[in-house]
Amino acid sequence: MSGFLSSQVMLEALGPATLIAVVASSMSVMVLAHRLAFLTVGVSHATLAGLGIAVVLSLPLLPTAAVSAVIVALLLGVVSPKRGMNEDAATGVLFAGAMALGIVLLSGASRHEVDLFGLLFGNILMVSEDDKFWLLCGSLPVMAALLWAARPWWAMAFDAASMRAMGLPVQGYRLLLYAVVGLTVVMCVKLAGIVLTAGLLVLPAASAWLWGRGLLSIWVLSLVLSLAGTWLGLYVSYMFDLPSGATVVLLLCAVFLLSRSAHWLVHHRKAGQSH
Amino acid sequence: MTAPALRLNHVAFGPQDARILDNIDLQLEEGHFLGIVGPNGAGKSTLLHIICGLLQAADGHVDLFGECLSRSSRRRLLGQVRFLPQRQESMSSMPVKVRNVVGMGLEDYHKALWRPARHSEQIAHALERTGMTAHADEDFRSLSGGQQQRVRLARALVSAPRILLLDEPAAALDSRAQGNLYKLLRELCDETGMAVVMVEHDIAAISDYVNSVACLNRRIHYHAKRGETIPEQVWRDMYGEHMHIVAHDAHCIGCVDHESGALESEQTDAGK
Repeated sequence: MSGFLSSQVMLEALGPATLIAVVASSMSVMVLAHRLAFLTVGVSHATLAGLGIAVVLSLPLLPTAAVSAVIVALLLGVVSPKRGMNEDAATGVLFAGAMALGIVLLSGASRHEVDLFGLLFGNILMVSEDDKFWLLCGSLPVMAALLWAARPWWAMAFDAASMRAMGLPVQGYRLLLYAVVGLTVVMCVKLAGIVLTAGLLVLPAASAWLWGRGLLSIWVLSLVLSLAGTWLGLYVSYMFDLPSGATVVLLLCAVFLLSRSAHWLVHHRKAGQSH
Repeated sequence: MTAPALRLNHVAFGPQDARILDNIDLQLEEGHFLGIVGPNGAGKSTLLHIICGLLQAADGHVDLFGECLSRSSRRRLLGQVRFLPQRQESMSSMPVKVRNVVGMGLEDYHKALWRPARHSEQIAHALERTGMTAHADEDFRSLSGGQQQRVRLARALVSAPRILLLDEPAAALDSRAQGNLYKLLRELCDETGMAVVMVEHDIAAISDYVNSVACLNRRIHYHAKRGETIPEQVWRDMYGEHMHIVAHDAHCIGCVDHESGALESEQTDAGK
């Protein structure tokens, strides 16, 4: 442990990784409640187009990717089944199209300009001062939006029709949710990469879901489990020299399996006692 | 003179050549309890959706409390209206305590997390009225279908709305709970002046409680006041000539055709 804590690279990664864990696990509650897991996959892959545009036009990577992710998420938010395409199909179309555009744009870039492996699978150990600044700039609006709209988002996930019928601007809240999910996805890409981002935005709440009895308890439990998985993941990746993002996601998967197994055992025992 | 709680003016819905609703005129004063009956596909749920702004009328307009329901007035007016949709429309697998489900019916619930929510008394009162106080801290998912429906009713009532819209609210309830529901709605209309529009299939079950019944099938065929008999021709116009009108009396328990032993099809209770 002392080696881990004396490693300058690890210590510098710990802050941003913790920030991403807090933001991602908080949003994962809404991702699960609104069934947006596939949307996060689509938006994370679509960020490759944003990164490609940033490289070609020499723009800062994270802000450009953030803008493109928010635009893609909002486009998916305004898609209506009444207009002949549901969100599921639209996500598939944007996912493939944006990914293809990103690959075409990045194919001309040199290896010095783009760390493709880092983009695809994350590289929190190579976080620059600029990255830290943009991560902070992204986290603040996400957390502010979450604190402001958590209750209506939760109520909408429970029964959108009744909420709309009582005058709540459901479509406005929905678009805000999609934009915030888009922004969160970009932040997660830094830690887990395009391919593994969905893990950070699904696994924490999925692990907490069975134990929580409401919004706040699921939120707090997701936060605790996500922080545990992230810190332990970074430690394991340091100890065994493994890729950090993939190790964190693997640890979160292990937390999820443990949570499901423990829940099954507890209920199995209760059922046994009642007979 | 106070404006009517609800007024529908020539409301139509659907394409011009295939209207789902056509030329609907209706007015409800405060404290009025209106039942809407009609066959499947008659546009009953659509009408409720138009009243609470979930659907936009193709023609005509909806006035709530004397003011036209529009984009600008929507939030203010609908804040005084609550809608209880059909049960299957809002099933959820989310972990939510019963008291929080009820709290969702309050404007206050939807404020930011840093603003303290003080509504426990209103929630307790709504749960008490629907007989669900003992279940306040249980998980909504662990309740039976009928209990869930009573919680959803408590959510609709918690803000003391001036208009309550219900779409087949008794579908998941046993006959005793149905009677209690209609009785509660009648009491609320009389005590608080709340106006109720309720879609139901069983006119005989609601006729003791409602002030009037509107017979709807694309248009309103008849609007009968309490005690008024709906002419047989109206039923035939709504349900078709093949329907069999059954008197709802002691000889009609279950409305069984004793000769064949089978339940009669396409039947409608035409009042007591």
